[in-house]
Amino acid sequence: MGQFLQFTINGLMSGAIYALIAVGLVSVFKATRVVNFAHGYLIMFGAYFYFTFAVLVPQMPFAPEWLQSWRPEWMLAMRADLPMFSPMAAVLDWMANLPRILLGLAGALVCNALLGLLIERALMRPLMGQSVFAMIMLTVGLISILSGAAQLIWTSDAEFVPALAPNTPIRFEMFGANIFLFGADLANMAIALLIFLGIVAMVRYTKSGVAIRATAEDQSTAYSMGISVPTVFSRAWVLASTTGAIAGAILATRNGISPALGLFGFSVLAIVLMGGLDSYLGVFIAAMAVGVLEALTQWKLGGEWAGIVPYVAVLIVILIRPHGLLGSKEIERI
Amino acid sequence: MRLNRRHFLAGSAAATATLGAPALLRAQPSEYVIASSLPLTGPFATAGQMVAPALRMFEALVNEDGGIGGVPIRVTAEDSGYVPANALANYQRALATEPNLIMYFGDSTGFMKLVAPELRGENARLMGSTSFASELSDPANNPYQYLPGPSYEDQFDILLQQIADEGGSTVAFIFSNTEFGRDPIAHGRARAEELGLRVVLEEATREQGADIPTHVTQLAQSGAEFCILQGYVTGVWPQLIGGARQFGLPTRFMGTFWGMENAIADRVTAEAGPILDGYAGVMPYKYFYDPERGPVYERYATFQKTAFAGTPLENYMPTWGLQALLSLTIGVEALRKVADKGLELSADNAAEALSELRDWDTGGFFGVPVTMEANKIGTGRVYQYSAETRLFTPTSDWFTV
Repeated sequence: MGQFLQFTINGLMSGAIYALIAVGLVSVFKATRVVNFAHGYLIMFGAYFYFTFAVLVPQMPFAPEWLQSWRPEWMLAMRADLPMFSPMAAVLDWMANLPRILLGLAGALVCNALLGLLIERALMRPLMGQSVFAMIMLTVGLISILSGAAQLIWTSDAEFVPALAPNTPIRFEMFGANIFLFGADLANMAIALLIFLGIVAMVRYTKSGVAIRATAEDQSTAYSMGISVPTVFSRAWVLASTTGAIAGAILATRNGISPALGLFGFSVLAIVLMGGLDSYLGVFIAAMAVGVLEALTQWKLGGEWAGIVPYVAVLIVILIRPHGLLGSKEIERI
Repeated sequence: MRLNRRHFLAGSAAATATLGAPALLRAQPSEYVIASSLPLTGPFATAGQMVAPALRMFEALVNEDGGIGGVPIRVTAEDSGYVPANALANYQRALATEPNLIMYFGDSTGFMKLVAPELRGENARLMGSTSFASELSDPANNPYQYLPGPSYEDQFDILLQQIADEGGSTVAFIFSNTEFGRDPIAHGRARAEELGLRVVLEEATREQGADIPTHVTQLAQSGAEFCILQGYVTGVWPQLIGGARQFGLPTRFMGTFWGMENAIADRVTAEAGPILDGYAGVMPYKYFYDPERGPVYERYATFQKTAFAGTPLENYMPTWGLQALLSLTIGVEALRKVADKGLELSADNAAEALSELRDWDTGGFFGVPVTMEANKIGTGRVYQYSAETRLFTPTSDWFTV
């Protein structure tokens, strides 16, 4: 039972990150009816922007020393007597990096928002009124552009970035088993869930959210009711880019950074199809289910199966419910 | 002058030689081509993009030395994205478009296994690669493929022997779920049993973006004293070690060739602290910073200083680049032996010449003369990383398996 709990929690932690990635896909689809195949690459750009502002900028000659490593006297004194990998040492090491982590996050949010806006204005908006299929194909083309551009700007070097939260180990015993958790992963899960819930609340309770939902229902009617549909499009892309920036930063802290991060978006695409392309709740359930299934499969069947079993489950759900768990059923009358 | 039989024969021979010379000259091509597939994109792009300039350097230096039999070489590289089918397509395209293709450099274990049955008759070429897959050291079935070092199985044997010598009793294998990762696992399991070691965990992970908490949990619960990591290049292995250190696991980590790059260990140390301190593994070659690096490394260093100024390769050649350089050097060495004998540079002749590389001084790659045995050079030594010096330094002498 303890083992089951351990792997379920691990799965939920991965699931929360999947949900954060998926929220961008759903937002763009809800507003524009476009499945953004390039979302994984937007996330990759978010990760690289985080790397730029958290690692490269603090190393530049003009950057103040405290930006690279903030270690006031009291911190040095506290750190001096601590063993290398003690929980308090992990917290202090993280605090030393805090200025550049905050700069990294701020830089990633702003730059990715601008990138999302640029894509929407320069590439998607001119296609408004054309077939949605053309816009989807454009996102496929965008994959090559973003992937190539990232390699040109940052090269393909594998890089490492500071964690968003202190990676203190958390250990406790439950049902006779030792449970191991990483502080940074719990914090990542909390960040992902808070952002996810914030977006769902925004879509449900704010004026902008109502505009997104109205546009999702019927663009022409939304227009005629005075909603600026192009603005809704822009907001959706900015929302996807900023959530993608946070997701990218989290993924970079977990796995390091390289152009291969872009591929992550494809596995999340399957999760979004399982949950329903236009349902935040459905996608959340699917993300958590896939995260837990992956972890449990890894535990019981090994890594050879961990990449297969959850996606077989996705396939079965789609076969039974082609519009996903909670997605809207589209009925076409001929 | 009267034309007798002797004059007639001498005259005929001279005429034949004069008329035949242009045909012979025509048979000598203006260049030989060595083609390659590299993972310039995809999960191992970091390695591929660092190897690509090394190939350019190789071409320049071989041509400085007169090419092969006086004919210059041209080295080409195409992206495979680390997809074996793409690399196979690249090879087939090279066969179709390069009439003077004499050798190929593959980029993965998957590709080398995929292409092996194709290497027959006209389609066969001498073939080195990035792989140390055990299956490739099989001249009876794969005469044209060779390894520029000990196979992954050999590397596992060395590490397991070291664990046994240090009195260890339990070991975990964590590997990427790829051909590259899985290659030595079954052999390692059997070898561990022979040595009286208990394999308490065999854990397959994604080659990129692995679920680190889950794998570290598995490792913690297995209680392994030692853990051998296999099938990674730039990612996963540092995060796994970092996770284990955060939890205070006493497990000692070891790796094989592709997880032993100093540049990666340095980047990890810079961002995550001294988590890799004590990490050890098998490395067939001297690192580029070795104080006794030998004439070939010195020559590379001189070339790099000017040709790669302003890039990370200006003062350093990663082990990935050294591996490719040695692999190609072996091929060219064999082909030169064929050319010296005046034979055709066919795959069969080149494969035969491979076995003539005995007690060969590589000029610095290895600290001892090496021999190509069963299409592999089974020489290497164990290195250990120190977070303080930020270097891998040898902890064993050179040995041959």
